[in-house]
Amino acid sequence: MSIIPFSGVLKAVKARRLRLAGAGLMLVAASLSAEDAVRYKSFPIGNKVVIAGTSTIHDWTMEGALINGFFDIPAAVEIDSAKAALAGSVDGEVKAQADVVIRVNTIHNAEFEGMSEVYLQAMKAADYPEISFHLSELKLKPGHAAGAPFEFDAKGNLVVAGVTNAIAMPVRIETVDKAKLKISGSVPLKMTSFGLKPPVKAGIFAAGDDIKISFDWVVKLLPAKKP
Amino acid sequence: MNLPEAEKPLDDLNRRDFLRGASFGSLMVMMGGIPLHAQEKPGAAPADTGFDATGLPLNCAVIGCGVWGREILHTLAVMPNAPVVAICDTYAGFLRRASEITPKAAQFKDYRQVLELKEVQGVIVATPSHQHREIVEAALKAGKHVYCEAPLAASIEDARAIAQAAKAAVKLNFQAGLQARSDPWRHYIVSKFLRVGAVGKNLSARSQWHARDSWRRTAQNPEREKELNWRLRRDVSPGIIGEAGVHQLDVMNWFLNERPTAVTGFGNILAWSDGRDVPDTVQAVLEYPDQVNYLYDGTLGSSFEAECDTLFGTYATVMMRGTKGWLFKESDSPLLGWEIYASKEQFHTETGIVLSMNATKSVKPKSAEDAAYSESPLHFALAAFLKNSNIVGTGAKNFSDTYGADTSDGLPEYMATLAKDRAAAAGFEEGFEATVCALKANEAIVQGGKIVLKKEWFEI
Repeated sequence: MSIIPFSGVLKAVKARRLRLAGAGLMLVAASLSAEDAVRYKSFPIGNKVVIAGTSTIHDWTMEGALINGFFDIPAAVEIDSAKAALAGSVDGEVKAQADVVIRVNTIHNAEFEGMSEVYLQAMKAADYPEISFHLSELKLKPGHAAGAPFEFDAKGNLVVAGVTNAIAMPVRIETVDKAKLKISGSVPLKMTSFGLKPPVKAGIFAAGDDIKISFDWVVKLLPAKKP
Repeated sequence: MNLPEAEKPLDDLNRRDFLRGASFGSLMVMMGGIPLHAQEKPGAAPADTGFDATGLPLNCAVIGCGVWGREILHTLAVMPNAPVVAICDTYAGFLRRASEITPKAAQFKDYRQVLELKEVQGVIVATPSHQHREIVEAALKAGKHVYCEAPLAASIEDARAIAQAAKAAVKLNFQAGLQARSDPWRHYIVSKFLRVGAVGKNLSARSQWHARDSWRRTAQNPEREKELNWRLRRDVSPGIIGEAGVHQLDVMNWFLNERPTAVTGFGNILAWSDGRDVPDTVQAVLEYPDQVNYLYDGTLGSSFEAECDTLFGTYATVMMRGTKGWLFKESDSPLLGWEIYASKEQFHTETGIVLSMNATKSVKPKSAEDAAYSESPLHFALAAFLKNSNIVGTGAKNFSDTYGADTSDGLPEYMATLAKDRAAAAGFEEGFEATVCALKANEAIVQGGKIVLKKEWFEI
């Protein structure tokens, strides 16, 4: 009698350098040259992944707190949400890279007995222990006020249980302190789009195909060294 | 690591719920669980996806295969995710009897060999109490999750050492053998009755532990006889209140949500004058805050009414006997609203509302889901040990896989986020507190007199 939840999707957002030009900037993920880059790496405290779903009898959520990955931005860029604009961008283009990984078995449900076990099976965790995301595009939304998080539209490839899908989602980046950023976002998904079967127990419940993944990802600037 | 306490006062349980012929499952729903009625939508039901909700396995070893160790083995043997890979006892006879329960387990006389086995993930220590410390410390050092039977030790110093080692072992799971803390039925009583004030103001409490049993076991030679009868030797025995009463005392601490401030004891050898120096008939009065006193009565000389725990309140009395419990309401207490629909039993002049998990008038055959919830507290405690050990072990491994093995920054915070996933179980804090209370009570009993329980004794 457990509710079976399913899947974790992880999103990574890459903060990119933005041009100072103002509204509707398009950021392109191009490769970042090694001399140029500054790396933000996953910080162990403050991360959160939440997967919310439904079923015929109960809504459910699953949570995790371990996100690994990095993003690199050009050294000249400064992301400071206390300021009105992103500093240091040149020519309307920001070169950055980011790859994010979540281990499937770091996501759990505390409420319902057996839910975590069924989730691992539904996710095929034995064969695919990780979920990964690679960002391909980040677009700054206009109208950022100093002190508020920067708002972006992100696109990238999400790999779950060996299946790759392109996804798009809104993302926010805010400055936590001098060296840390918090990247947050959420995206609705369908389990079946990744070849996963929503868990069903005949006559008792059926998990819904629609889920929503939300995350907070804290990254910290690595000192000096390049990746 | 406890189940959520009262969220829904009992008057929310209404007539409709009871008359629905509630099964245990439905009771669980009212406790905030999952409704188990079948989907009402018409149309073909989808077929099962075949996913299995059984928890991850944990390779177990049991060290100490006496009567209780073998009870543990019997319980593990029917749990599909609890493979017992090793059993250990210094006494060949016990080891042989244990191997009949778990024939596939490797057999050892020396616990150190068990701890060297890489495949052993969790260790259950069920040796005589005074031998726990050395084994528990070694097991934690060897990176094993530990379930240590209660009382944690036969001296407060040893118990504290165990608690400190458990506290320091952030990447490992430690559970004290106070199995009532994992029992959903007792959680039900606490959250649905006690914490919402169904008993009114606490007046006093009373427990008894009666058995007609000398506790003396025979053996082939005097050396073995001495070892086997450790419970009859004052130098190592925690006594009746330490060995049996520790569980009842812990439950009362939990029910009252307090710890005792003083204990007065009386102890005598009345039934079995066979040269032992441990009292076979004991009484203790434990004083709690708000002038609530808890009377304990234990004997090895009479089996009358076996085990019984009672909490008296101005509105009602809660009485538990083994796995059955009742609520006796006073005539002038506020109505909870559902009393007339509840199952009742008559005791001489008292009428008690049955506090079982299936407290309705309808007589239903035991369904499979109900059967799952009528397991023993030991079963729930061991299941919790398996689950929590996997949560902690996987969590620690995930953390080091994610951030590197030498990163300890953020590890305690991460382990804390896993706390809500854990099944209810007694940790080292509860284990240590109950052990201190029980050992001091035993000391008061043996000396005869009052001991004020000092705050610093409870510090870990």
